[in-house]
Amino acid sequence: MEEELRVRLNDHQPSKIFPVKPKSTPKPLSKPETPDSRYWSSFKPHSIPNLVSSVSAVAFSPIHPHSFAVAHSTTVSLFSSNTLAPSRRFSFKDVVSSVSFRSDGALLAASDLSGTVQVFDVKERMALRSLRSHKAAARFVKYPVHDKLHLVSGGDDGVVKYWDVAGGTVISDLIGHKDYVRCGDCSPVNDSMFATGAYDHTIKVWDARVGNSKWIAEINHGAPVEDIVYLPSGGMIATAGLNSVKVWDLIGGGRMVCSMESHNKTVTCLSVGRMGLEGENRLVSVALDGYMKVFDYGRGKVTYSMRFPASLMSVGLSPDSSVRVVGGSNGMVFAGKKKNKARDEEEKKKASVVTSFWSVKSEVDESRRRALRPSYFRYFQRGQSEKPSKDDYLVKESKGVKLTRHDKLLKKFRHKEALVSVLEEKKPADVVAVMEELVARRKIVKCVSNLEEGELGLLLSFLQRYCTVERYSKLLMALTKKVLETRGEDINGKEEFKGILRNLKREVNQEIKIQQSLLEIQGVIAPLMRIAGR
Amino acid sequence: MIRGGRSYVTSPPSFSNDAKKLLVCTGNNVSVFSAATGLQITSLEGHTAPVTTLIVVPASSAAQKILCYCWTASLDGTIRHWDFSGPELLKTVDAQVPIYSMVIPCLLSEPQQLDSSKLVAYVSVEDTSLVKEGSKELRGHIRRFNLAKERLPRGDTLKETEEPKSIVISPSGEFFGIRHKCKIHVWGVPSGGGSRNALAKKMTLHHTKVINAFAFHPTERIIAAGDVTGRVLIWRSFGNRKLALASQKKNARSMVDLDNPGVRDGDDAESCTTWHWHSAEVNVLNFSSDGAYLYSGGREGVLVVWQLVTGKKKFLPRIGSPLLYFIWSPEPTLSSVVCADNQIHLLKMPSMEISRTISGIKPPPSLPKMYEGLSSTVAFDRSSGIAALCTENYCVQLYNLLNDRGISEVQVCERNHQPGDEITVVVTAVALSLDGSVMSTTEVKLPEDGIGGLVSLKFWESEPDNKTFTLSTIVYEPHKDAGVSAIAFHPTRSMAVSTSFGGDFKIWVCNSDKSQTEKDSSWICHAVGSYKKKPMTAAAFSGDGTVLAVAAENVITLWNPVKNMLLSVLGVTLTPITKLCFVGKSEFLVAASNFPKPELSVWNTSKLSLSWSYGLRIEAVTSAVDSSTFAVLALVPKTFRKSKSKKNIFRGRDGAILLFNGSDPKPVSIWTVMKAQGGSISFLEGDKSQLRLAFVNGSHEYVVFDPSSDDTHERSAIDYEGLVGEEETGDFGYTSLYGQLPDYDKKRKEDAESLATPFISSERPWETIFSGSTLNFPPLQKLCGEFFESLMEKSNSVVE
Repeated sequence: MEEELRVRLNDHQPSKIFPVKPKSTPKPLSKPETPDSRYWSSFKPHSIPNLVSSVSAVAFSPIHPHSFAVAHSTTVSLFSSNTLAPSRRFSFKDVVSSVSFRSDGALLAASDLSGTVQVFDVKERMALRSLRSHKAAARFVKYPVHDKLHLVSGGDDGVVKYWDVAGGTVISDLIGHKDYVRCGDCSPVNDSMFATGAYDHTIKVWDARVGNSKWIAEINHGAPVEDIVYLPSGGMIATAGLNSVKVWDLIGGGRMVCSMESHNKTVTCLSVGRMGLEGENRLVSVALDGYMKVFDYGRGKVTYSMRFPASLMSVGLSPDSSVRVVGGSNGMVFAGKKKNKARDEEEKKKASVVTSFWSVKSEVDESRRRALRPSYFRYFQRGQSEKPSKDDYLVKESKGVKLTRHDKLLKKFRHKEALVSVLEEKKPADVVAVMEELVARRKIVKCVSNLEEGELGLLLSFLQRYCTVERYSKLLMALTKKVLETRGEDINGKEEFKGILRNLKREVNQEIKIQQSLLEIQGVIAPLMRIAGR
Repeated sequence: MIRGGRSYVTSPPSFSNDAKKLLVCTGNNVSVFSAATGLQITSLEGHTAPVTTLIVVPASSAAQKILCYCWTASLDGTIRHWDFSGPELLKTVDAQVPIYSMVIPCLLSEPQQLDSSKLVAYVSVEDTSLVKEGSKELRGHIRRFNLAKERLPRGDTLKETEEPKSIVISPSGEFFGIRHKCKIHVWGVPSGGGSRNALAKKMTLHHTKVINAFAFHPTERIIAAGDVTGRVLIWRSFGNRKLALASQKKNARSMVDLDNPGVRDGDDAESCTTWHWHSAEVNVLNFSSDGAYLYSGGREGVLVVWQLVTGKKKFLPRIGSPLLYFIWSPEPTLSSVVCADNQIHLLKMPSMEISRTISGIKPPPSLPKMYEGLSSTVAFDRSSGIAALCTENYCVQLYNLLNDRGISEVQVCERNHQPGDEITVVVTAVALSLDGSVMSTTEVKLPEDGIGGLVSLKFWESEPDNKTFTLSTIVYEPHKDAGVSAIAFHPTRSMAVSTSFGGDFKIWVCNSDKSQTEKDSSWICHAVGSYKKKPMTAAAFSGDGTVLAVAAENVITLWNPVKNMLLSVLGVTLTPITKLCFVGKSEFLVAASNFPKPELSVWNTSKLSLSWSYGLRIEAVTSAVDSSTFAVLALVPKTFRKSKSKKNIFRGRDGAILLFNGSDPKPVSIWTVMKAQGGSISFLEGDKSQLRLAFVNGSHEYVVFDPSSDDTHERSAIDYEGLVGEEETGDFGYTSLYGQLPDYDKKRKEDAESLATPFISSERPWETIFSGSTLNFPPLQKLCGEFFESLMEKSNSVVE
């Protein structure tokens, strides 16, 4: 009984206005907003053009403000991560293959294809050390994570070298790879451990403390290894070879944890990034197919994927996860910078501390000023901008229906004016909705015949643009035909309509061609489907 | 047996004197509604033909406001006097001719001296003695009738017309009149009251158009009339010459020679002004009780308030249906508008807001020709007895058949309905899932000149234990541009099938199982099927949901709905199939086809063969879920009906409900029904023990009955108990006057109950009188009689 009464209370009110609404578009089945996609798409894009040739490597300084080095052609450019503007350049004799910062961010090592490894002070132009020992092109160079004195490098001669930087000498030649050594990374927990990958499909883990130049572990990736990265725990590594990325458990004896094969072409570079300051770690990979993919290796799922307009060669994420740099093969650097909200808030807090000192005094001032009298205009506005507190009970006014201009005109039965006003707004969905309403009122033909010349041009240019769009074509094609039939003599021979008509004709012809080719494809597929159905 | 779905709008309703009740003529009864809640309180039952007039005896003083007496006149030829608080019939006057309209002037003019012996009524009757088809006799008579005497004196005929006309009386009771084509005839009521010789004086006002409605001013001599073109005419100071009383005659004579602007043919009126706002005919005209305003309304569904002196207008727009009557109540803040779609809106007065709606079952929509007979505009929720009906204003009305009450309305298509416009958007079909939680509708926007045209399919979902549906999914053009011919729901899963004339059917599933969140559940296409590109005309799921039967024009295809596999094809019928239905859980399948050769055929799906068939035209098929019975609604052919031997059986009924049991071609029982065209039937199985059959006819009147019993005992659809609770307790109610009574009654009631139980087991009508508000307690002397009656045992022989 009570329920019945309640139903009766929100009775249907007959006097109601329904504004003209465009057809609702289908919702995507999967939800687009995940925390991952929100995070990774929040980098504000900023591309740095005009670098010569392919961007082979990107490295971030581990020290705030985390400036980054980009290796392209025979140069290494240093960029500030605040402004994303270049600050310094280092020149080489040959194409630079790899760059690495020392743990204090003061020095930077780079290798080039002549086999030389050079060490620079980031503040000076000239090289501090030039380490020559590789007999072929050097492919990677890496500073250990905390160690300031040594370097690891590898090259096409298949030898991995452990350097003493101060003396400029090779401490040990680590021989074992049977093909070009392409990449390597140092363990984040142990300064003397590092892993290298080569074109002989293997990853070898070395320990500099073991004297006999023998690897301590070996993993077979199954494809030429392009890049290798230690995951932050230090017990796992991720490797890239061909279009697959694999994650291995080193402590568990080189067991594969998971693999990701959603790239279509060779994966060129890997990087580990953190989502925010407290977020989870993600593996970011870029490939020649132009995609950057974010891989959640904990769940074994690709959580985000982004397309760039070029083949990608390198990727880097700043340690404070505010800047993302992707290097392309055409010399473009696609940098992305996050707005740092946390820092903004901190600054605000600092500012408020400063002002709070003064606020005691200003409150006194305020109370004196607050004695408003009806002689002030503000007296009548007082309290209008007051915000409700949490436990206030809000009395909400029922909102009226918001009517747009064409709705108001339709309400007054001024059909032609409604059509013209919606055509001027340039929202095709709204225009089609108004046209459907006119059809339902049996007024569209009359509207078309009443249009004046300028308005006719407006309608024709709209029809020309949208009549072949699939969602609207059923209505618009018939309408176009009707317009051309009824207003033929007005359109004929007018200069301003000529261009529109020509375009219209072309559009229609193009559509017919597309339809024909689609029919052909259907003809090919139909028998196949029939066979598959059996 | 429950009957319901009566029209509330056949004749104007009336407020009670305290404005808390609204009396509405509903068929043979008068229903009394509470103005505060809009629920029915009681009904006056007794007439044997539709009630045409209802006059509440007005109160002359504040103390009399609680008096609840009324007069009713009916087509059965009787005039009855009621006390509607009881309700109790006080008096019956037999007039012997059908009464179409009645006025009692002296109730209004001299209410203080209500002497029943002097009560004179003017009635509009149809002289049935002259009825002959094609004859041009004047059958409609206006007669004077003394209600004190029981017989209608023949000599007192005032006017004869072709058809019986409705009489309009002025609120002061001085004049009454009828409209007749382009004329209004007005009589002045003789002041003498009962004297026979004082015949009413007559005058006539002329116009050039057919007059549709007119009204008298409450205090001045002003008549307002509305014609078919939408004009409102106001005659001022009418009848100064002809109807003048003796004392005024001298003044009147001096005005004869004056120029009377706008008055035609030397009519007896001082001036005539015309207001034109309405675009279509004016149906409603009524002055406000103080005479300052004039209310008018018509087919556009807009109530216009004219300020009588200045002619300024105010509007209540978008009521959504042609207006039929406007009445004001004794309470100045309350009035009521009656619409043609069986809705009575109660208005809050100065602001003219619709505060409450008494909604009857809405009439069926008028469909364009191509959709007639194909659409299924009525769907049933079998468990709760709720019917979903498509209506004209693009809504689906949910109507509780068991309580005879409208529940809510679902706006299917977001458009403003303008009554009288050409129909361009139609809701063609509605279907409810077996548990009533999902509704599906289709609508068609008809193209103009080949431009546009859109079919869309919508799925609506309701929260559990809440009868309001919210839109879940819209599918635009579900079958390209072909229309949807049928929708059917899976009995257990959330799955539906829609078939189209374009030659394919689609199976829709709800994907809420996967995402688990209720809110973003949506219906997506699960499978598409077609059979030889034939138009698909009907679909049905089997009782356990494992088989889907789809009629492809004249063959029946059986499918596995989950895997979308064609299982088998049943043989060919002669004509396209329009209805399909599985018989409960048995292996039989009923198919009906209408055009050009009607046929009802029953197929055995295990043997894939025809069991039996009849050459009957079928309007609807239904089957019970658990048993193997099924019922069909058949139209009886005219030639069969008209044959002499059958004429007595049918008596104007054009259809029959046939109940079959399983494979047996002999019907178990047959009922003949009226207005079967466009009707529909369904089994209702709310509680397992009782299986009931609901039949809704072509004009949305319905009956719910138990097909297994022969019980013809008619029960009105409403359970009065429990409905009355919401009455407002005013300070001038019954309790304030007779403060002692309720206690006394209560005690008596308890006594009565303790005494009565051993003696009487079945019929205790007096007991129901006590349940409910004290406002409705009958007077004590009445209770007493009934109480004693209840103590005495009734002998059964008398009843038989």
